[in-house]
Amino acid sequence: MNTKLHHLLLAGTALCLAACTSTRSKSPTAAAPSAESQDDYDVATQISDPLEPLNRATFVMNDKIYKWLLTPVSKTYTVVLPAGVRDCIDNVYENAKFPVRFVNSGLQGKFNRAGKEVQKFAVNTFAGFGGIIKQSDRIPSLTGVPSEDTGQTLAKWGVGHGPYLVLPLLGPSSARETLGLAGDYALDPINWGFVLTGDADDWAWIPSTGNTIRALPLQLERYNDTTATAIDPYTAVRSTFVQNRNSAAAE
Amino acid sequence: MNRRHLLILLCCTPLGLHAAPSEAEAKLRSAVNEVLTLADRAGSNAALTVSVRPVLLRYVSFETMTKRAVGVGWRQFTPAQQKRATDLFTTLVIRTYIGKFTPGERPVIDYKSATESAAGRVDVPTSLIYKGSRYAVTYRMEQIGGWKIADVVIEGVSMIANYRSQLDATFKQGGAEAVIRSLEQSVSR
Repeated sequence: MNTKLHHLLLAGTALCLAACTSTRSKSPTAAAPSAESQDDYDVATQISDPLEPLNRATFVMNDKIYKWLLTPVSKTYTVVLPAGVRDCIDNVYENAKFPVRFVNSGLQGKFNRAGKEVQKFAVNTFAGFGGIIKQSDRIPSLTGVPSEDTGQTLAKWGVGHGPYLVLPLLGPSSARETLGLAGDYALDPINWGFVLTGDADDWAWIPSTGNTIRALPLQLERYNDTTATAIDPYTAVRSTFVQNRNSAAAE
Repeated sequence: MNRRHLLILLCCTPLGLHAAPSEAEAKLRSAVNEVLTLADRAGSNAALTVSVRPVLLRYVSFETMTKRAVGVGWRQFTPAQQKRATDLFTTLVIRTYIGKFTPGERPVIDYKSATESAAGRVDVPTSLIYKGSRYAVTYRMEQIGGWKIADVVIEGVSMIANYRSQLDATFKQGGAEAVIRSLEQSVSR
């Protein structure tokens, strides 16, 4: 295993341990029940954020990186390649990510879903020219299969979020989801060149860099969407992250 | 009660139970169709934000949305503050919603079976394909003088819960005035 990944995994484990031992005081004030509070809106966005000052600083830094570095890269990518080609590239990468979805469906005991992932992979790889065309979208039973990942598996196994973390570059996460990211990274064949050769050899960096760039337009669009109409962008991104991950885990 | 009445009652009960979800769904469908017609006609998001407002005011309960988005602090707002907050939040919600549209792109919407989550409350789950991506969008409908949209949940993210987390923190820091000021700032941005 590559040393970089090893470090990431270790860091993730350490964070998780820290999360488990930290105190679980979440809501600073227990609001008295009233007509307005008798809903699940407060609970829906809850996560402990003991590192808020650091997280906010990282958030500001990330915002600058997204705006001044990644947005121009993303813009160039969308200008250079027409939408049809970009869709094909997205399809290839999503199809290649099959082990992430398959393994995690299995680890959660969702064998029906794992079976559908195999069918999707087979259809798209063989009938879709190596995943270029998402043929599985033409088969109703294979559309809308919720994609499983390692973070969701950990949630299913009863691991809590732990503290909220804003990762440099990668953005919103939690201790559990960071460990999940490391798992997804290791399961994605795109990164296996990196993992197996041990270092960034001649060609190994190309697939994973391509993956990062092709995902940028959608990621940045979602980030801008969340922050543009926010009252406090930091809180908006945090509650969007928590709700989205919790609903993915429950699915 | 004679036997015929009982028979009629028995026959009507299943219909009565299903009436709420289908009524709410029908209302939502007409709201969505009206908005999409306007979106087709509008050349830009700015134009759509203006033209869509009267339609949304008919189908969406912005009073309920604002009250819930503020949370427990709402009762400490004066009626004037409540009105001001509702007006500002209405503008912000419309902008949030319209910001997700790209002129010229048409979504494909698949309505799933609606469920009555509580008395007078119906969730209408939909699957939306937009610009090649698939999104799970659930509309929360409520009986507020007719069926009205009270929340939109996109990929598990509730618009109202999202604003609650921000406005509740603002209220705790500076009360109703701070909430109104932050809404003003967001609207004028």
